[in-house]
Amino acid sequence: MSLSFPTMAAIRFGYGFRPGEVPPQSKDQLLGQVASGARSAPSFLSDGIDGRHQQIADLQEELRELRQSGDEQARRDKRKAIQKRVLHGFQRDANARMMQAVLSPNGFYERLAAFWTDHFSTSANKSLPMRMIVPLYEAEAIRPHLGGSFRDLLRNATQHPAMLIYLDQAQSQGPDSPGGMKQKKGLNENLGRELLELHTLGAGSGYTQADVRAAAMVLTGLTIDRRDMDATFRPGISEPGEHRVLGVSYGGAKRSPKDYLALLDDLAVHPKTAEHISRKLAVHFVSDQPSSEMVVAMADAWKKTDGDLMAVYGAMLDHPAAWRDEGAKARQPFDYVVAGLRALNAGSGDGAVGEFMRAHQDGGDGGDATMAPKAMAGQGSAMGGDAGAMAPDPEDAAASKRRKALQTARALGQGALRRMGQPTWLPPSPAGFEENFSTWITGSQLAERLAWARRASAQFGKDEDPREFLKATLADAARDETIRIVAQAPNKISGLTLVLASPEFNRR
Amino acid sequence: MTEVTLSRRGFLRSACCLAAAPIFTPVTFAAMPGDNRFVTIVLRGAMDGLDLVQPYDEAGFARLRPTLALTPDKGLLDLDGHFGLNPAAAGLMPLWKSRELAFVHAVSTPYRDQRSHFDGQDMLESGGEHVAEEKTGWLNRALSVIPRSDDRKAIDVNTSTELILSGPNDVDVWASDSNLRTAKDEMQLLMRLYAGDPIFANAMDEATRANGAAMAAEPDGKRAERIVDVASLTGTMLKGEYRIASFSITGWDTHVGQAGQFRRPAQDLAQAISTLKATLGPTVWSKTVVLAMTEFGRTVRQNGSGGTDHGTGGCAVLAGGAIDGGRVLGRWPGIGDGKLLDDRDLMPTADVRELAAAMLYRQFEVTARDLTTKIFPGLSFDKASQFLRA
Repeated sequence: MSLSFPTMAAIRFGYGFRPGEVPPQSKDQLLGQVASGARSAPSFLSDGIDGRHQQIADLQEELRELRQSGDEQARRDKRKAIQKRVLHGFQRDANARMMQAVLSPNGFYERLAAFWTDHFSTSANKSLPMRMIVPLYEAEAIRPHLGGSFRDLLRNATQHPAMLIYLDQAQSQGPDSPGGMKQKKGLNENLGRELLELHTLGAGSGYTQADVRAAAMVLTGLTIDRRDMDATFRPGISEPGEHRVLGVSYGGAKRSPKDYLALLDDLAVHPKTAEHISRKLAVHFVSDQPSSEMVVAMADAWKKTDGDLMAVYGAMLDHPAAWRDEGAKARQPFDYVVAGLRALNAGSGDGAVGEFMRAHQDGGDGGDATMAPKAMAGQGSAMGGDAGAMAPDPEDAAASKRRKALQTARALGQGALRRMGQPTWLPPSPAGFEENFSTWITGSQLAERLAWARRASAQFGKDEDPREFLKATLADAARDETIRIVAQAPNKISGLTLVLASPEFNRR
Repeated sequence: MTEVTLSRRGFLRSACCLAAAPIFTPVTFAAMPGDNRFVTIVLRGAMDGLDLVQPYDEAGFARLRPTLALTPDKGLLDLDGHFGLNPAAAGLMPLWKSRELAFVHAVSTPYRDQRSHFDGQDMLESGGEHVAEEKTGWLNRALSVIPRSDDRKAIDVNTSTELILSGPNDVDVWASDSNLRTAKDEMQLLMRLYAGDPIFANAMDEATRANGAAMAAEPDGKRAERIVDVASLTGTMLKGEYRIASFSITGWDTHVGQAGQFRRPAQDLAQAISTLKATLGPTVWSKTVVLAMTEFGRTVRQNGSGGTDHGTGGCAVLAGGAIDGGRVLGRWPGIGDGKLLDDRDLMPTADVRELAAAMLYRQFEVTARDLTTKIFPGLSFDKASQFLRA
């Protein structure tokens, strides 16, 4: 191991150092974060899981009433108001999601939550209700199960309304089922395909188009109850008969959820799944070209334990390759922003960053990360100036001040993530966000990161001495040259900016 | 008292035009009764006072600085037969001739040995005798002992105040949020930061070549415009109800190729001061003191890359209708053998805090006791101060 254990543990397997937080000192402590992370409820659902279910049900009801309402203009206005409220709530969830990662002492767990949410990608862009459903999905389908067996995780992810909506499973009907024949709707292969290609076996693992179609057939009947926004099984739209996936028959004369659950369970322990996901974990955490021995060790652990994820994580951490070649990975934008905010988060309680972001996370103007493309780094389009220009009246000074703080919070959070290409819960495709170095370390990316680093340093770093900040933030990962350069910075903000812009801080 | 009142509406309008000023850290204002004005400008990065005000007549100067030292026949503007002004600051010559400009050579804070910008700026702004001794800024502490109205509303206290005016007393801040572009001295550090990492070096190269990249060094023309904007905003505020203002000019950390790098911030400084004078108008200008100062000086000898390194004794700039200028002040220690501090730096002969104290004393009648206990603890200052004659 070239760097100290706590440094590697914090930077490679967590979101970096945070002042006042003791980094993991052993593999057991690192693994222990998974259990303690899973025990605590995520902070990003303002009313908890039950509250969110209720909100979604209310929204469905509202939208239903809206469709039935007669007056065109009234309908448009009402729809606008609902949209604004939902987008606003999504913005709040997304900010809180980011701050969860910043404030959590369970960095490894948080990284895994991001990994698995991305592995089982769903996008909040799919529809208006999805802005409320996708955060719920992470909270109830992913986070509680990522330290258990892959079988449970796969079942929970696949049967969640977020997945069923995102991959159009809710539209799929067996062509020969009574419901399918009556409605003249047919099979939608989307979930069946992504289940094999992305979620389990992996592309090129040997399955055929016939397997994809058969898997989709097995999945028919699995749909959502839109009123309760829950998964349900409707035998009436389930394709009758047996369907062979990878040589195994599922189904029969009378179709039931047991059929698709059997398929999911078989896929969960399939050797190709063990290899595909072990490799993906290794790529995410350790290297774009991970050691094949490490991947084999992880897959072996998977096979030996029927996909006990703790055993797989343990095998990764036990392998020497997990502790070599520091800096082999580029931090993705979310990692970068979270690590930067953690580094700057001095102070008691939730720290300066936590206080500021909490105070200003509520947009109040219906703004949305995807819909408010405010330039941050562009020339001549400063937030401050815009805020000033929007406040022509003295009485508006307080409002203007508040708006500026909101804009800063957004620019440091979801605004930055959007500009850097990784907005929360908005992946570009079912394959999730890109992993590799060349995607994330480019000219424009570096420009964005430098702009972010400077802004964040100016906002939160006023009392930091860059030399101390460097020590606390990179510890023994700092190169001698970086130490020298940071000490030579012409002022404090520059010094902090250089730390956050350094290759070491952008690598992990 | 001038009759100009500046509405908040008007202020916000002018502030928005300044939205993208990047070279400056926040402009900070305080309002108070009385007619006198005081502006501090922090020259961040350690201005080379020997480049701005060159002892061209001094034996050995040209030898110590083979490519940096100028003479009147090479464009240096003679001040008094001994010192000459760097031509980049030629915009200051009218002020010099009207005796509204003075330079104070060989001053420094009590900071010695380590030559860290952070510590140096910390001491310059906090006014303490030791690093991290004071947590608030001396200009803010000064507000405590100057009678002032306290019903000022903040223009924007969201962004952080610079240390010099931060503390328990409310001040109004205008800050550019888009401080994203990079002064040239910082740019060089970034280049070095990525030099050992080819992937990052390539990305940086790509970023700087891309038109309008956020990290590109500020184009000179734009920068000059923004300096004018910030200085005229400051002037307009001071013409109204504000009496104290502070802002910074960056770009002075000239380790490499100083002859080229120094020109820009020196022009900025001249531009800032002459814009202030033009905006304030003769009546207000006659009651104004501008004090520009820096955290430490630079080495007397130029280094192997045509630049200078961190030193000790520096130079402060005084301007305004309220000063008795046209002189180079301070006790000049010389640069001959045995006269340098540690055989490398200009020997400081006075504490720059004393200069600041003298200006507060004169502009706002702050007592010597307050100055030496509350504002600059440990400083010795009395009515005999050489700087009160400035």
